Amino acid sequence: MSENNIHDCSMLILLLPLLGAVVAIVLRQFRLGDHSHWPVIFGVGGAAFFALNILWMVLGAEVGQRSVQSVIYTWISTGAASSWFNFEFLVDPLSAMMLVTVTFVSTLVVIYARDYMRHDDHPERGYERFFAFLALFVFSMCTLVLAGNFLLLYMGWELVGLCSYLLIGFYYNKPSAAAAAKKAFLVNRIGDFGFGLGILLIYWTFGCLDYASVFHMIEEGVAAGGQALPEGRLAMIALLLLCGAVGKSAQLPLYVWLPDAMEGPTPVSALIHAATMVTAGVYMVARCGAIFTASPAVMTVVAIIGAATALFAATIALVQNDMKRVLAYSTVSQLGYMFLGLGVYAAGSAVFHLFTHAFFKALLFLSAGSVMHAMGGIIDMRKFGGLRKVLPWTYRFCLLGALALAGFPFFSGFFSKDEIIHHAFNQNFWLGMVGSVTAVMTAFYTFRMIFMTFHGPERIPEGVHAHESGKWILFPLGVLSIGAVFAGLVQVPGEKVNHFLEPAIHQFHAAHGLLLGAAGHAVAHGFWAEYGLMIISGGLAILAIGVAYLLHVRWEWLPGLLADVAPKTHRVLYNKYYVDEAYDAAVVKPLRKSGRICFGIDQYFVDGLVFMVTAVPRLLGAMLRSLQGGAMQSYGLTMVTGLAIIVLLVLLA
Amino acid sequence: MAAWILTITIFSPLGGALWLLLGESADAGRVRRAALVSSLVTSFLVLVALIMFYADSNAATDGSFCLEHKSAWLTETEDAVGTIDVSYHVGIDGISIWLLVLTGFLSPLAIWASFSGIKERAREYYIWMLVLQTGMLGVFCAMDLLLFYIFFEFTLVPLYFLIGVWGGKQRREAANKFFIYTLAGSVLTFAAVLYLAYFAYGKTGVFTLDIQALTELGRGGLIPYGIQWWLFAGFAAGFSIKVPLFPVHTWLPLAHTEAPTAGSVILAGVLLKLGTYGFTRLSLPILPDAAIAFAPFMATLAVIGVIYGALAAWVQDDVKKLVAYSSVSHLGFCMLGLFSLKMAGVTGAVLYMVNHGLSTGALFLLVGMIYERYHTRDINKIGGLAKPMPWLAFFLVFFTASSIGLPGLNGFVSEFMVLLGAATSSGTADGIKAGPLGFAYVVPAATGIVLGAVYMLWMCQRVLFGPLIEPPNTPDSSAGLTSDLTRREISILAPIAVVCLAIGVYPKPMIETMQPVIAKSVLQPLPDHSIEEGQEHFAEHPETERAMRRLGLETTTTDATSTNAASAHPRSTGRIEGLYAEGRLPG
Repeated sequence: MSENNIHDCSMLILLLPLLGAVVAIVLRQFRLGDHSHWPVIFGVGGAAFFALNILWMVLGAEVGQRSVQSVIYTWISTGAASSWFNFEFLVDPLSAMMLVTVTFVSTLVVIYARDYMRHDDHPERGYERFFAFLALFVFSMCTLVLAGNFLLLYMGWELVGLCSYLLIGFYYNKPSAAAAAKKAFLVNRIGDFGFGLGILLIYWTFGCLDYASVFHMIEEGVAAGGQALPEGRLAMIALLLLCGAVGKSAQLPLYVWLPDAMEGPTPVSALIHAATMVTAGVYMVARCGAIFTASPAVMTVVAIIGAATALFAATIALVQNDMKRVLAYSTVSQLGYMFLGLGVYAAGSAVFHLFTHAFFKALLFLSAGSVMHAMGGIIDMRKFGGLRKVLPWTYRFCLLGALALAGFPFFSGFFSKDEIIHHAFNQNFWLGMVGSVTAVMTAFYTFRMIFMTFHGPERIPEGVHAHESGKWILFPLGVLSIGAVFAGLVQVPGEKVNHFLEPAIHQFHAAHGLLLGAAGHAVAHGFWAEYGLMIISGGLAILAIGVAYLLHVRWEWLPGLLADVAPKTHRVLYNKYYVDEAYDAAVVKPLRKSGRICFGIDQYFVDGLVFMVTAVPRLLGAMLRSLQGGAMQSYGLTMVTGLAIIVLLVLLA
Repeated sequence: MAAWILTITIFSPLGGALWLLLGESADAGRVRRAALVSSLVTSFLVLVALIMFYADSNAATDGSFCLEHKSAWLTETEDAVGTIDVSYHVGIDGISIWLLVLTGFLSPLAIWASFSGIKERAREYYIWMLVLQTGMLGVFCAMDLLLFYIFFEFTLVPLYFLIGVWGGKQRREAANKFFIYTLAGSVLTFAAVLYLAYFAYGKTGVFTLDIQALTELGRGGLIPYGIQWWLFAGFAAGFSIKVPLFPVHTWLPLAHTEAPTAGSVILAGVLLKLGTYGFTRLSLPILPDAAIAFAPFMATLAVIGVIYGALAAWVQDDVKKLVAYSSVSHLGFCMLGLFSLKMAGVTGAVLYMVNHGLSTGALFLLVGMIYERYHTRDINKIGGLAKPMPWLAFFLVFFTASSIGLPGLNGFVSEFMVLLGAATSSGTADGIKAGPLGFAYVVPAATGIVLGAVYMLWMCQRVLFGPLIEPPNTPDSSAGLTSDLTRREISILAPIAVVCLAIGVYPKPMIETMQPVIAKSVLQPLPDHSIEEGQEHFAEHPETERAMRRLGLETTTTDATSTNAASAHPRSTGRIEGLYAEGRLPG
């Protein structure tokens, strides 16, 4: 495929959204802020067009020629003579697929936001700011995906963090939103602390930071200067990189920021905190397969973190009453699945789940936004119910998304999730079991949400004029639900996605050393081996949906009773295991206290020392001064005393 | 012209000050406009110097000094005693030019920012500001140690008056503390300077204070380690206080808090850099052995300062004090980079000097703008300012991002290079001998990046977001201020923001001019034979060498087969296809 075309397309993908952001802000200066969605729709839509173009070119190229690296310009010096880090892009199947996912969902979300950020057709305060930030986010996310070296990856990584900060805090007057924004940035920074150190360690080990050279040197087993790779170094690097991934993708123990991030406007939750940014960690681990898979111990850690997060977040989602919170914990849980997939050497499946998840989770969030829009900003499911008549289209689309998330047979989520569970079972029975149990919970809480919101008797909060959303909102929902239903067909049958991604996802294999490109194990053949699990998990999902129906539509008194029977469990789950409180007590307060101690030391000890040093001349001065009071009698007295002492000394001698 | 441009530049603000002094106009408006014009003239001259610097191909690529001007001052030739070589000697190279540009850039902005805040004794105020500018420009141009020291000390006087007269409530105490603290340190520095000249006299027969001559002395290994140790300690006494390095930083928070806005901007933006510049220009090149010996100690203090300053900043209620403590933390990074004794680290440190000047200077400007409206800097008494002041919010968030090292803005480039330098300190890939630091210093320093985000975002949250909190009877519009930033204020901040962005995206022009200087006159590159040894090392492993060459990694060999791979660009496009074509990557 043509390098120049790829190069130009990548540049356009970055520059169009950026241009959109600038134009949106400029429009405001001409009092055309009402129309600032247009430049952003065109910018992001243009990026989507060129992303598709890139995917098309990658698909059209021969399998061996699907990676293109292009240098834009030289950026930062490493210090070694004539050695610079470049601003460079890497386009390969993995980044092409990510690009399409990101820009496509972004375009739909931007279209959706046109209506969502208006009330009675009046733009909200900060309308153009919102669109500018969204466009900036698309720019940053595409930088992250297109990056051809770790430094540029880090840049995109931090920039999406900034956009997330700005957008969570969009309603900055709300103290909770401002606090959530800060929390998101800081928790991510903690992860990035490890990530940054990992990058430095990569440079220290290999003497370069661009993917191609680093991965190739790993394959050759050499470090910088041709020396042998130190024992355990790759595992160390992998663990440090994992810190960053855990922060960005909201895994245990750094997931705490994501539920709070729901303070941001719903389109932001859908785009950044469900479909795209939070999957950056998954992307990064998949990208660095050569580093991660080199160390089985680290892979086990990844799998365990993923499985634990999936289960943990799902249990919390069971009892939340805020529609967006349920979806937020569900996102954490689904990201856990992706990590599980990565950890069981099924990076291809993980990326495939990332792909389907982007559609159905964005769909669910945007539907929740549509409900919220109709309910005048209320999102607590206890305050409304039976909305399927009032919001017929939202209901239908939301139902499709829920079926996909729940893993209902032949919806997209069914295929992708099942694949991960399948691989997990191949690796370790218990990991597979955790995956299956979580899948049941997922189906349950998803439909608990659906039934509480749309079924049962119609209840609408007082003073709310409920109405179905307009076409700007329904159109993206429709498009996304097509994706939620059919996205699975990209992979099934024939593991097409895995084969497509193979050249881009490097993997070590115990027997053969590093295999450049092996997105997943060959799955065992035979009907039951291949389809047995599918049938079981499909059945379980349907069963869980049935239980949710019984609990929340038929026997509505039962959930309350359950909460009464096991009040402690319910309280612990409802309060999210008190993790936030624990962090506050274990990290924030002690740190702040040590800050006070530092300042105290500054004021009293260090300055006290300085004061003591200066006290010496001052004291001398004071002593001498007291001798020179100017009174004749004291001079006389001193003189006589001195004379007496001298006489005494002379006499004694 | 070339010989005179620096001298004219250095003394042009002094001319402006004289003009203000002799002019009889009592009209504050005319006085401040005259001051601004004068400092703009200086900026223009700095720009001319920059252009001439680039025109001088040697200086821009080779790391040598240019625009030199030397005239005898205390020079004497006596047959019996020997020679004294103390001269008025100015010149710039790839390091000092950027600090000169920084000074020329910030000074007019600081003066312009004073327009609304300074109401009393305006003429004297602007005279001192201009005098201060001469001092700063002089330090960065001086190539003679005595001249350097004179300018170095000379900056104290105007700032003493700026803080003591136009400062806050505790201004007297702050001014005295600042003056005595820094003077006490630099007296020791002066002792070291004199001894160094005396030592040079013993060695060469010339009582010289010429920095280049002394650098040659140090590079030649002519100064015994024992003497270097004492000289380093003497230099460090003065420079560390100026930086300020933990634990001699305690003058800084008070001086910053009490100084008028422009004073803080200049103090943080330029004056602190005199300390780090002193280390870069004098301690490292003239005393290389002592620098290596001291490096772990200095770097430890720097790392402590990074964390300590950040933690202390977090608990401040006074926004200005918070920014002041953040300087302690940031300058710790700068010192860490310097004492990595590596190309990346020192380049990062020099870049850090400029970047810290820009972002922290801008933060002080913003704090001043808030103070002029609300007459308080107490973080508990203001809040939610983003609503009435969207422009302020934009700039505060922007410079916060710059300050916490967000990639794409200036802070990141220098921070990354500093950490890279410290991490790779013990390597020799840059052709400079191994330094003493390593990851043990990087890990705690990197927590400073997390903590930096903690206190800055905490401040933003309290000041900008949440419900609006304003003290009674504010905002004060008596000085012609609008509720959001005025056009003048935006015009002050916008250029700084543009420069921050430019350095973050394309720092190459600066790095390119700095690195030859650092290689030539700060660090000592390895002698050539050791690189040849490296070559032999590669030759012993022909397979590895081939692998490396195929990857386009430089192996420093020049034999014909490698030219293909390494010729055009080591990381050129299409390398991967090459790998595929060769069958290195499975298709």
